[in-house]
Amino acid sequence: MNPGSSAAVAVRRRPFTWHRLQKLVAPYVFISPGVIFYLMVTIIPMIWGFWISFHKWSIIWPAHPWVGLANYRALLTEDLFWTSLRNTAVYTAGVVPVELALALMVALLLNTKLRGRGIFRLLYYLPVVTPLSISAVIWQWIYHPHVGLLNWLMRVLRLPTHDWLQEIGTAMLAVVIVGIWSGVGYRMVIFLAALQGIPQTYYEAAMIDGASGFALFRHITLPLLKPATLFVLVTSVMSSFQVFGLVNVLTQGGPLDATNVVVYYIYKRAFGDLQFGLAAAASFVLFAIILVITAIQWKLVGREVSYE
Amino acid sequence: MTRADSLHIAGADRRTKTSRRGGRTFVQVLGRILTYVLVAAGAVATATPFVWLILSSFKSLQEVVLFPPTFFPKKPVFSNFREVFSMIPFGRYYLNSIITSVIPTVATVLTSSMTGMGFAKYRFAGRSLLFWIILSTMMVPFPATIVPLYVMVSRAGLVNTYAGLIVVGLSSAFGIFMMRQFIMSIPDELLDAARIDGASEFRIFLQVVMPLTKPAVATLTLFTFTNHWGAYIWPLIVVNSDRLRTLPLAIPYFSGQYFSFQNLINAASLMSIAPVLVLFMFTQRYFVQGIALTGLKS
Repeated sequence: MNPGSSAAVAVRRRPFTWHRLQKLVAPYVFISPGVIFYLMVTIIPMIWGFWISFHKWSIIWPAHPWVGLANYRALLTEDLFWTSLRNTAVYTAGVVPVELALALMVALLLNTKLRGRGIFRLLYYLPVVTPLSISAVIWQWIYHPHVGLLNWLMRVLRLPTHDWLQEIGTAMLAVVIVGIWSGVGYRMVIFLAALQGIPQTYYEAAMIDGASGFALFRHITLPLLKPATLFVLVTSVMSSFQVFGLVNVLTQGGPLDATNVVVYYIYKRAFGDLQFGLAAAASFVLFAIILVITAIQWKLVGREVSYE
Repeated sequence: MTRADSLHIAGADRRTKTSRRGGRTFVQVLGRILTYVLVAAGAVATATPFVWLILSSFKSLQEVVLFPPTFFPKKPVFSNFREVFSMIPFGRYYLNSIITSVIPTVATVLTSSMTGMGFAKYRFAGRSLLFWIILSTMMVPFPATIVPLYVMVSRAGLVNTYAGLIVVGLSSAFGIFMMRQFIMSIPDELLDAARIDGASEFRIFLQVVMPLTKPAVATLTLFTFTNHWGAYIWPLIVVNSDRLRTLPLAIPYFSGQYFSFQNLINAASLMSIAPVLVLFMFTQRYFVQGIALTGLKS
């Protein structure tokens, strides 16, 4: 920046302004793909979806008359929608706590100096990389009433057998089990990463002070796992509320809507009955519920966790 | 590695001391055995469906419907894997899955890195607002946008096309966040040195920043590829011709049509899972490292 002679400045100015200009423009060039994408694929659809939810809208009719809050009113007075909400809540309540506990337990176990850790980690992670709908196909065979592995096991243990996916009492449980099976591995890796981020020196210092075993876990590990726990909790609840593929392959919402979840309801309303307005309204209710639940979790668990 | 080892030795040292004091070795040995038993039990429970899948895909049609089921195939057959291709257009489905997974993965890694770089290494007007907006889209459940997205895609004439399948997967908020966190940890001095050498900003991105982001890129590649390889709801909606079915659509469809041909269904499922398994094995050593270095550290 220091001008020596005017000749030198004249020589240097051109590349220098070019650099300045570049530094000014570069950030916008860099962020534009991401920003444009989110504008087109999330933000505009969100706004448009909101707009659609106030119309009687079907993809086959050219006219979309404005109906105000009629779609929302129809939703809230429809038993099936409430059933689907309740089923989603049941699914979430079944999956999330078990998933969290198992993932934490496995991560703690795998964080010790264990022989063959890599193999175990791989095994636990396999269900995560398996496409959900293919997992569902695999489990369909396990749940099969006549030739399935599960009923075979039940018979060996002299327990009652079931047509797991077709009985009202067992269908949701069967879906929940597959949900847990395919979700634990991902949560485990998050916990594992967090555990490996805890400096060994903390433990050593505490041990010098005479702490051991459970006290170390209680006063060092657990508090330092809080951000990871929050993350796992939030993502796990969010994905449980969006469960669809498992249900669509395993039970199609049946028997008698016992496994009809919100996204399945939205899918059926939009692409089965072509009631896009109603489906868009249901989408908004789902979004609002997820937002509220996440905010509550954030308040309860995450006060001191920052993401900057 | 060496640091961890020495810490381990230090830990072992300490343990001998405590055991000398309190005689805890027996408890420790017991705890260790218990750990192995628990980990192994969980692994067996997790892996059983896969073992079952693999073993069944080598069974003949007669054997696969036996009850009680046989565990190991009595007479392993390999023809199932071939027969799948003649029974359904499996090669076509496979190609569809490859196209609709590879393109979005490459695009996502590129766009996430670029956007992450923009947010991590420059100050500009609207930076925190834009970043906050992108982050908050992570809160929007994808299924909540399928109705308007479908309307948009159908108006653009992209229903039943590869473009329609691919277009919703070209970037990822998670990826942007992750790459930003990772790139922020790269010292500015490195970038400035390259600037002094006259490198353009884009060249700095490609030749200075990108080579240093390997663990993050590996993790993001695995995540994104896995997501797209398993994508279900969007292809289900946007595609209704058999020609464009991807594997996650085709396998349940196949299973619904020919449920009793379980040996073939299993062989097809196994072949469908194979690419993600291979990718995971190659990237897993970056994996925990990649996660640790990004979002969750804070």
